[in-house]
Amino acid sequence: MPHAPATLVRRRRTRGFVQVAGAATAERLRLNRFGHAYMGLGAVLIAVLFYLALAAQVTQSSYQITQLQEQQRQLLAEQDQLRYQEVTLQAPATVEQQASQGGMQRVPPSKMVDYPAVAIDLQAPIGAPPTDQTPLWQRALAAIVNRLGVTRDALAATK
Amino acid sequence: MPGRWRVLALVLAAVLLAGMVWTRLAYWQVVRHVDLAADAQAQYRELVELPALRGEVFDRNMKQLVVNTTVYSAFVSPDQVPDDQRARVALALSSVLGADAGKVNQTLASGKKFAYIARRFSKDKADKLRGMLLPGVGLEEEQQRAYLPGIAGSSLAANLLGFVNYDGQGQYGVESYYQKQLAGTAGYISSYRDLANREIVLGTHTHQDPVNGANLVLSLDSNVQYAAEQALADGVKKANAESGSVLIMDPSTGGIVAWADYPSYNANDFIHTDPSLFLDKISSSVYEPGSVMKVVTLSGAINAGAITPDMVINDPGYVYVGGYRIYDWDRRNHGNITFTYVLEHSLNVGAMKAMQAEGHANFYNYLQAFGLTRSSGIDVGAEDIVPPPSSAQMADSQFATTSFGQGVDVNMVQMLAAINVVANGGRYAPPHVVDRIGNSLNPVLLQPQRQVISLATANQMTAMMEQVVQHGSGWMSRVHGFELDEAGKTGTSQIPVAGKYTLDVWSSYVGFLPAKHPRFTMIVVMRKPHYPGSNEDWTLNDGYIVAAPVWQKIAQQIVVDWRITPDPR
Repeated sequence: MPHAPATLVRRRRTRGFVQVAGAATAERLRLNRFGHAYMGLGAVLIAVLFYLALAAQVTQSSYQITQLQEQQRQLLAEQDQLRYQEVTLQAPATVEQQASQGGMQRVPPSKMVDYPAVAIDLQAPIGAPPTDQTPLWQRALAAIVNRLGVTRDALAATK
Repeated sequence: MPGRWRVLALVLAAVLLAGMVWTRLAYWQVVRHVDLAADAQAQYRELVELPALRGEVFDRNMKQLVVNTTVYSAFVSPDQVPDDQRARVALALSSVLGADAGKVNQTLASGKKFAYIARRFSKDKADKLRGMLLPGVGLEEEQQRAYLPGIAGSSLAANLLGFVNYDGQGQYGVESYYQKQLAGTAGYISSYRDLANREIVLGTHTHQDPVNGANLVLSLDSNVQYAAEQALADGVKKANAESGSVLIMDPSTGGIVAWADYPSYNANDFIHTDPSLFLDKISSSVYEPGSVMKVVTLSGAINAGAITPDMVINDPGYVYVGGYRIYDWDRRNHGNITFTYVLEHSLNVGAMKAMQAEGHANFYNYLQAFGLTRSSGIDVGAEDIVPPPSSAQMADSQFATTSFGQGVDVNMVQMLAAINVVANGGRYAPPHVVDRIGNSLNPVLLQPQRQVISLATANQMTAMMEQVVQHGSGWMSRVHGFELDEAGKTGTSQIPVAGKYTLDVWSSYVGFLPAKHPRFTMIVVMRKPHYPGSNEDWTLNDGYIVAAPVWQKIAQQIVVDWRITPDPR
């Protein structure tokens, strides 16, 4: 198969806008080498100034944030304080104190739920226990021995 | 020397000198790199800890019991106070903070770099100081716990809650037990500082947020707690007692409703408090419960089928056990009596006979089942227990005395939880203070409750305890309107000193109300009461005289606050 001849493709190099504009400006301004240097220096200076202005603004914002944080801390502390006051005002001790200062008193309930009559007398004293049936001599002996303090019956007082 | 050698010598000298410089450079830049980099960072970087907020504590009605507040400490840098300003600074500090002006002047003249003038004062004072723009004076913020006021001079539930020390560590009570959950985890922020040591917020920094502590919701009712503290203080003063304690429990859950000690302390001023007051006597000290134990003894014996409430025994007023003659409290012959009468009149002989009918092994098993041989597991710091010896090591006389609550040591939580078994239909409800930790329930609440005695036995014992209130030693505890619907038991036990019992006693009263459907179980213990007239008649120090009225007063208050009505009949 015959080899097809390679077509020579020549691409035209296009010049960029900046190059064109730069060249046009240089042509119009007729800048020499020093002029170029000054231009470059000016550009750098503007960039530096811009950076410094930005940095100053950032630093200022930074300090403002610090101030606001401090303010926030103060407000939170005040909030804590107010919350403690609120909670303390609701505490039973404070409520009672305030009430008594206002002339109020806790009154025990005067009327309770009605009850059907009961067979026992709740006000009656507790009845006497049955008579002691221990022989008299044994009780007398126990009393003497107890008085002498030789028995080991200290536990008997438990009720 | 030929010129070639001279050049070589010069080159060598130059190489040597350069080598020295390079070696030194290598030393600083390679060998010491890590140290120097760290030193440099320390100069312009700052690692600030972001403290976690400690969790707050609420009662069962979501009333706050503990609040985090900000307090301030004032410090001076004496070398930064100009000489002509010292007098003004000293005067201002003494007028705002109450510090001694002379001492402040001395500090300012000392030439020190740093000195505190006052610690932990309120924001009002800090604001005043800030407004004065004093040279060389600085303020330091600190977090502090603030507790609610209780009865005169103390804070509410001080012995239950404990306090947090200046290092942020919980001490005693709930603050100590739940330190890890309450404290949370601190975060940090690493930022840059400028020459004036001001933070450059927008600089590069790393940041780790703190994890705040979990809030706790207690089963406590702050109104009942206050009522208990008031009634207890009055009771202790009236009985001339050394101290007293009240513990109230929700019968069905085991949640603690009130936990009061008297005398107590002000947790807001722990630094100036006698440390002996910090110790909570409810869980951290043991006592001999006395006749309150008869409820456990008789319940076990009834449940084992060894006795019934109506079974008749003969009580001559004493009994011989293991070579000891042990008496009833009144040393009187009671003749033929029922076990209900034994409980009503708190007779030791009856309790011993019930224990003997049941047998030592059974009796000991019930002690274990009622939770009297091991820690209650209550969630407060430092529970103290003295477990009894093993069943095999206990002498006959010790079994006998244990049956009526002497010679056995328990803490109040153990004892209340044991009595609560009767109130809770025979089931043991694990005592606890905290219901919720953050958003999760306390795991104790999710465990099934173990059945200690049958429901029938619990009902029988409840009926017997009702008789104690209606006909026996519990008559001083009767709450108006609940006279027929209240269960209780008195207890008085002598205090041993150096192995011998003295005339000083622990007096107690335990009960629950309403008897059939209890809303609360409460125990009151008075230590070393000296009731007026008790020098002539020491029985005036009994539980029914000194503890039962306190119980009655608190119960009356709960009935009103919780709107409890008696069971219909």
